[in-house]
Amino acid sequence: MSDHLVESYDKQLELINSNLVKMGGLVEQQVKDSLQALDNKDTEFAEEILKKDDKIDDLEKEIYALAYKIIAMRQPMANDLRTVVSALSIANDLERMGDHATNVAKRVANVKVSMPSNSISKIVQMGDDVQIMIKNVLDAFIKMSEKKAITVWDSDIDIDETYLSIYKELLQTMAENPDTINGCAHLLTIAKNIERIGDYAQNIAEDIHFIVTGETLERKSENAGQWEDVDIQT
Amino acid sequence: MDMNKKIKVCVENLNVYYGDKQALYDVCMDINQNEITALIGPSGCGKSTFLRCLNRMNDVIDICKVEGSIKIDGEDIYNKDVQVEKLRERVGMVFQKPNPFPKSIFENVAYGPRIHGLAKDKIELEEIVFTSLKKAAIFEEVKDRLDETGTSLSGGQQQRLCIARAISVNPDVILMDEPCSALDPIATAKIEALMEDLKKEYTIIIVTHSMQQAARVSSKTGFFHLGNLIEVNDTETIFSTPTNEKTLDYVTGRFG
Repeated sequence: MSDHLVESYDKQLELINSNLVKMGGLVEQQVKDSLQALDNKDTEFAEEILKKDDKIDDLEKEIYALAYKIIAMRQPMANDLRTVVSALSIANDLERMGDHATNVAKRVANVKVSMPSNSISKIVQMGDDVQIMIKNVLDAFIKMSEKKAITVWDSDIDIDETYLSIYKELLQTMAENPDTINGCAHLLTIAKNIERIGDYAQNIAEDIHFIVTGETLERKSENAGQWEDVDIQT
Repeated sequence: MDMNKKIKVCVENLNVYYGDKQALYDVCMDINQNEITALIGPSGCGKSTFLRCLNRMNDVIDICKVEGSIKIDGEDIYNKDVQVEKLRERVGMVFQKPNPFPKSIFENVAYGPRIHGLAKDKIELEEIVFTSLKKAAIFEEVKDRLDETGTSLSGGQQQRLCIARAISVNPDVILMDEPCSALDPIATAKIEALMEDLKKEYTIIIVTHSMQQAARVSSKTGFFHLGNLIEVNDTETIFSTPTNEKTLDYVTGRFG
């Protein structure tokens, strides 16, 4: 596609995209660090992570301001309009991902050595998969690839399955040994936060698909209903 | 094409030449009744030529040659039996620059019905004039000054007077060639609101350089480029997900 006749319009659209990529990079790092802090039970490092969330929030505000400006001043059409409107949604999703990463970091202090190590390593493994999702969705965004976006969208099912298995396992542990309830509740929350990060990556994949095609991504979630049999086994 | 919509104007393989220069290439387009269809495209793309073919305005240009068929209600308007005056009664036109006659407001609207013999007496003529002015949403503003000259009105009022003049002869189709390009945004909004009302009774085809206007008022939009009708579709599709790359470039401001 050719450039706009008005060069400054192109520059504004480029700026909105480069800010999103920058924000995505910060979120990616934030998730990576919080998982590392969790894996190493490194409370000090976790404290550092909390301070970095403001940068992500600031970028979100910048992207919002720019998007409003473009809509008001340029009246974007077609794919330009989708880029700007989706930027609002993507920025919001990235900001939420950053919050969830921060939530993980906040709970590192509550994770004790005595907690079920099997579940912790499973959570870290899920975190690794989520990181791959983030990397891939940012890649799909930079390349504006509908195909890559669909691949990311589909990969969320693996995260959901892992989360379900962690959930079941922790429920079982708590049922068997009530002394672990406090620690396991923290682990459940951590796992949920990471699983949510995957959901937001999936949302971004939907936005990319919308920007490229103008159509919403219609795909069936295949694991619906698997939660029905989750119950505490005593 | 929407199956439950009646096609008012059917254009097939329209080729138009001005001397050696071809202005339109094989244009085919169906225009729905009681809808507003917008024609967009850069200057010189052929959209005004297309519009002017619909009431044979191009007949007056000696070097202009029109090939193909244009049917209104199934009747070919280029058939030699067609009386051009009768055709222009059915297919009215509103121009870019408001062009009231240098006569009174009343006479501006009464002129058409009088020469077409649409009123049998003065009372009937007055009724036609008042109804037309009301339909054109200008009656309230001019009812106390009908004797004043049409050119004394503001630009927006003049344009609505021209619309009243166009509808006074009871047309089916109204052609509008950039009717708002000489008007301020408020006068433009009044014309656009009026178009919304008028489409209940008339089929409207508007040429506009304002894409926002096309997006606001029309149900269907056709994009012309270098004499070709590149794409015609629901207006929402043209401005969100056009099929053709050229259309996309044009609506997003990538070429002029």
